[in-house]
Amino acid sequence: MADLIDYLQFVLAPQALNGLSLGVAVVLMALGLTIIFGLLDVINMAHGEFYAMGAFLALTLAGLGVGFWALLVLVPLLMLPIGWLVERWLIARVFHSRDRHILTLLLTFGLGMIMEDLLKLVYGPNTQRPENPIEGGTEILGMFLPNYRLFLIGFGLALIAAVWVVVFRTGLGAMVRAAAFDKDMASSLGVPVRRVYAGTFAFGVALAGLSGVLLAPIYSVFPTMGRDFILMAFTVVIVGGMGSIQGAVIAGLLLTQVQALSSLYISPVWSDPLVFGIMVLVLMVRPQGLFGRLGHA
Amino acid sequence: MTKTTLLGTAALVLLGFGGIASAADPIRIGVVTPLSGTYAPIGQQVRWGLELATKEVNAAGGILGRQVELLFEDEEANPAVATQKAEKLFQVNKVDFLTGTVNSGSTLAVGQLAERNGRLIATTVSFSDAITTDKCSPNVFRVNARAGQQSAALAEWLAKDKPKAKVYYLGPDYEMGRSTVAAFKQAAEKTGAQSTGEVFAPLGSKDYSQYFGQLRAARPSVLYTSTAGNDTVRLLTQMSEYGLLRNLTIVGASGTVTAQNIGAIGKAADGFVTGVGYSAELATPENKAFVAAFRKAYDTAPDLYGADSYGLIGFFKAAVEKAGSTDTDPLRKAMEGLSWSTPQGTKTMRAGDHQAIQDMYAVRIAADGGGNRFDVVGTVPGDAAIGPDQCTRF
Amino acid sequence: MPEATLRTLSDPGRTGPASRLSRLAPVHWLALAFLAAALGFAAVAWATGNGFYLRLATEALIFAGLAMSVDLLLGYTGLLSLGQALYFGLGAYVSALVLRDVAPSFWLAMAAALLAGGVAGLIGGVIANRVKGVYFALITFGLAQVAAKSVYNTRALGASDGLIGIPQISIGFGPFSLDTADPLSFFLLVLGLTVAAYAGLAYLMDAPFGRTLAAIRANEKRVPFLGFNAWRYKLAVYVLAACVAALAGALYPMLRGFVSPELMFFETSGNAVITVIVGGVGTLVGPVVGSLLLTALRSVVGSWTEHHLIVVGVIFMLSVIFLRKGLVGALLARLGRRTGQGRATP
Repeated sequence: MADLIDYLQFVLAPQALNGLSLGVAVVLMALGLTIIFGLLDVINMAHGEFYAMGAFLALTLAGLGVGFWALLVLVPLLMLPIGWLVERWLIARVFHSRDRHILTLLLTFGLGMIMEDLLKLVYGPNTQRPENPIEGGTEILGMFLPNYRLFLIGFGLALIAAVWVVVFRTGLGAMVRAAAFDKDMASSLGVPVRRVYAGTFAFGVALAGLSGVLLAPIYSVFPTMGRDFILMAFTVVIVGGMGSIQGAVIAGLLLTQVQALSSLYISPVWSDPLVFGIMVLVLMVRPQGLFGRLGHA
Repeated sequence: MTKTTLLGTAALVLLGFGGIASAADPIRIGVVTPLSGTYAPIGQQVRWGLELATKEVNAAGGILGRQVELLFEDEEANPAVATQKAEKLFQVNKVDFLTGTVNSGSTLAVGQLAERNGRLIATTVSFSDAITTDKCSPNVFRVNARAGQQSAALAEWLAKDKPKAKVYYLGPDYEMGRSTVAAFKQAAEKTGAQSTGEVFAPLGSKDYSQYFGQLRAARPSVLYTSTAGNDTVRLLTQMSEYGLLRNLTIVGASGTVTAQNIGAIGKAADGFVTGVGYSAELATPENKAFVAAFRKAYDTAPDLYGADSYGLIGFFKAAVEKAGSTDTDPLRKAMEGLSWSTPQGTKTMRAGDHQAIQDMYAVRIAADGGGNRFDVVGTVPGDAAIGPDQCTRF
Repeated sequence: MPEATLRTLSDPGRTGPASRLSRLAPVHWLALAFLAAALGFAAVAWATGNGFYLRLATEALIFAGLAMSVDLLLGYTGLLSLGQALYFGLGAYVSALVLRDVAPSFWLAMAAALLAGGVAGLIGGVIANRVKGVYFALITFGLAQVAAKSVYNTRALGASDGLIGIPQISIGFGPFSLDTADPLSFFLLVLGLTVAAYAGLAYLMDAPFGRTLAAIRANEKRVPFLGFNAWRYKLAVYVLAACVAALAGALYPMLRGFVSPELMFFETSGNAVITVIVGGVGTLVGPVVGSLLLTALRSVVGSWTEHHLIVVGVIFMLSVIFLRKGLVGALLARLGRRTGQGRATP
C-alpha cells in the first residue's frame, strides 16, 4: 500500500502534472486552429509558423526593452492585423471555390514554407531563448514544479476560459457562431460575415502568437519551431472535433496525459505513433471527433 | 518552341555558364554543405572556417602559385540533394576537391559519387565512426575527430575527475544518438563508472520534463547526453528550471553544446564537460592567432566545425605541395600519412583508414554570465585516443 | 435510341481507332511535344560531354513519376495525399536491397518494388480511405511520418545514414543491354518508362475506370446511385498510385547508388504536391513538366541563394491562387479545347 502511494506521489502525479503543463500549451495552439477551421472551414497549415512568429516578435520586442507582461498583450495585438491581412488577401481568394479545403490547405502550406524561410532570413538559424520571467519553483505535495510552469497552467486555463466566454457568452461570439452555422442566413440578419471571417482568422493567429510568447522561455526559439506542435495540434483538433472548443480542450488535455503517462511504460519514441494511432482510430470510428463542430454542436 | 524547351534551354545555358566562365587556372574546391535547414549553423561555421583559410592562403601566394577558389552549394542536409550538387560541382564546375558535408549519410553518399568520378573528398564535421571504419572509402578523408576519439577523451576525464561515478544516459532516439551513448557507456564502464539507467527521447522532443522522474529516481551524479542543437537547449534549460542541475554534472558528445546553441542555453551550460578535438581556449599561438582572425572577420568565436574546416585547407595545401599536382592518385598518396599543422596542433592522417589522428581534449564550459568559455581540463594524446584501424577496404 | 444517347453523353468523335488517334485531346499533343523536346535536350546534353545534365533530368523524371502518382489521386479522384513519399521510399529501399543483396537485376528490383508498393498501398488504402478530404490528407501524412521514423531508426536499413553501395547494373532487353552508369542510355530508359506510364495511365483515365473516378471527384455521394462502389474505386486508384510511386522510387538507387530515409520524409511528399500544382493538376503531363521545371529552378536558384524555399513557395502560392490548373492547364486553356473532349471541371 505504501508502495502504491509512493508510486502515485513520486511517479504518477509529477508525470501527470508535467503532462498538464504540456497539455495547456498544446490546447492553446489547437484552440486557434479549431476556431479557424470551425468557422472558416480553413485548414491553416501555417499555424505553427504563426506560433513561431509570435515567439520571434517577442524576442525582438524584448530586445527593445519591452517587459514580459507587456509582451503578453502586445504580441497578440500586433499579430491581429497580420492575420486579418492574410485572410483578406490570400484566403479569401480561394474561399469560394468548391475545393476550398484542399486549396486552403495548399495555400497555407505554401505560406508556411515562405514564413519559415523568412524567419530564418531575418533572424538567422541559431537558437535563441528569452529569459525565464518567473524563476524558481515550488514544492507541492512533495513534487517540485517550476513556478513558470504553474503560471503557464494557470494563465493557460484562464485564457481558455476567456475564449470560451467570448465565443459562447458575448454578442461577438454569437455572431461568429451564427456565421459558422449558416453564413447566408447570418448575413441576411445583418452579421458582417466577411469581417467576421477576417476577424476570426486574425484571432486564431493571435492565439498562436500568444502561445509562442508563453512557451518561448521553456521551449526556446528557432525558425523551424513551428513544426514542433503541428502534428499534435492537428491531432487534438481532429480527435476533439474540428471546430469544437471544448473538444480541443478535452482532447488536448487527454492526449497529452496519454503521452506523458505512456512514456513511463513504453519507449518514448512510440508516443507519436501512439497519438497518431488514436487519431486514425477516432477518424475511422467517429470522424466528427468527440464533439463535432462549432456552431453545429 | 514550347515553353518547356525554352525554359530547358535557358536552364542549360545558365547552368553551363557556371562551368565555362572560369578564367586563369585557380584550384577549385567544391563545398557542399547545409546552408539551410536545421544544420545551417554548422554549415555556417564550415563556410567561415574555409573562407578564412582560403583568404589567408591566397594572400600568401596560393598553392603551387595557383589561387584557391571555393564554390558553395546548399545540400539542405539531404543526401539526395548533396549528391546532386556534388555531381554538378564535379562535372560542370570541374572542382579538384570537395568537402563540406555534415551529416554522415551525405558524406557516405557523396563519397561514393567521388569514387565514381575519380575525385577525393574530405569531411570536417561528420563524426559517425562508420565513415572511417566499416564504410571507409579510398576517396574519403576525415579531418575531424570521430565519435570513438571523443568518447575516449571524455571517459578518461571522467575516470580521473569522478572515479566510479554513477552515470545516467539520455540520448535522442535515433541511430546516431543511441550509438554515441553506447560507445561512451562502453568506454566509461571500462574506466570504472557505474551505469544507473538510460532513456531515449524522440529526436526533436520539446519537453524533457517527462523523463525527470526516472532521472531523479536513479540518483546519478553524472548525466551523459548526446542531444544536439535545439534539443540540448531544451534539455538543459528545463533541467535548470526543475532544479536538477544542482548536484549533477552534465557531460556529453562534442556536438551537444556548440557556438550555435550556447547563447540560448545560457547559464545552464555552466560546468558541462565534453570530449572534443578543439576549443577556442586552447593556448597554442596558432590557435590564438586563428581565433583572433576569426573573431575579427565574423564577430563570433570559432567552434570545432569552424576550426576543423580551417584546418582542412592546411591539409589540402600540404598534400598538393607534397604531390606537386591536384591529380587524384598522387594526391591521395600524398595525403596518406601526412602530418600538418592546425590551430589545434599537429594532426596526422592515418593511411590505413584516412582518419586524422589528433590530441583530444576534455573541455568544460564556463558560462557564468561573463561570456562563454570552453576551458580545457584534460588532454588525451592522439595515439591513445585514436583506436584501432578497422578499415578493411583498402 | 439509348445507344445514341450514350454516344452524345460521351465523346461524339470517338468511333474507331483511326479517328481516335486523329482526335487526341490537346493534352496528349502536349505530351508528344514534350517528348520531342526531351529527346532534343538529350541530344544537346550528350553533346556537352558531361553526364550531369542528363542525370539531373533523369532524377527529375523519377520524381515526376512520384508526382504523377500524386496527380492520379488529386487531379483525377480529388484525394490529396500528403504521404506519397512513403511508397516512393519503399520502392527505393526494396530496389536497393534487391540490387545490393540479392541480384543486380533490373527486372527483379522493379518487380519487387511493384509488389511492395501494391501490398503497402493496399494496407495504406484501407486505412486512409475510410475518410475524405482533409482527414485523408492528414492520415496519409501521418502514415508517411510513422514509416519514415521507423526506417530512420532501423539499423538493418542503414538507419539515418541510409544504404550505399548499390551497384551500377546492366539492364537486358533481349539482345540489347543498357548500363545504368551511362547517363544517356539510362535517361532514355527512364524517359521511355515515363512515357509508357503516362500513356498507360492516360488511357486508363479515359476508360470507364477513369470516368468513374471523375464522377467520384465531382460528387461522391451520387456515385452509388449510378451503381458503382466508390470505396472500391478509391482503393483501386490508391493502390495504383502506390505502385506508380514505388516503381518510380525503384529507379532512384539505380541512378544515384544509394537510398536514404529523406526519400520518405514529408519534404519529398510536399515537393511532389507542389510539382503537381505548379505543373498542372489533373493532366498527368503537368506533373512531369512541373518536375523538370522545378528541378532546374532549384538547381539554378540554389546556386545563388540558400533561401530558395521562398522562391518556390511564392511560385507555389501564385499557382494555387491564380493558375488553378497549373502551367499546363493554362497552356491548354490558351490552345483551346475541342468541345466534348474536355473533362468536367468544377
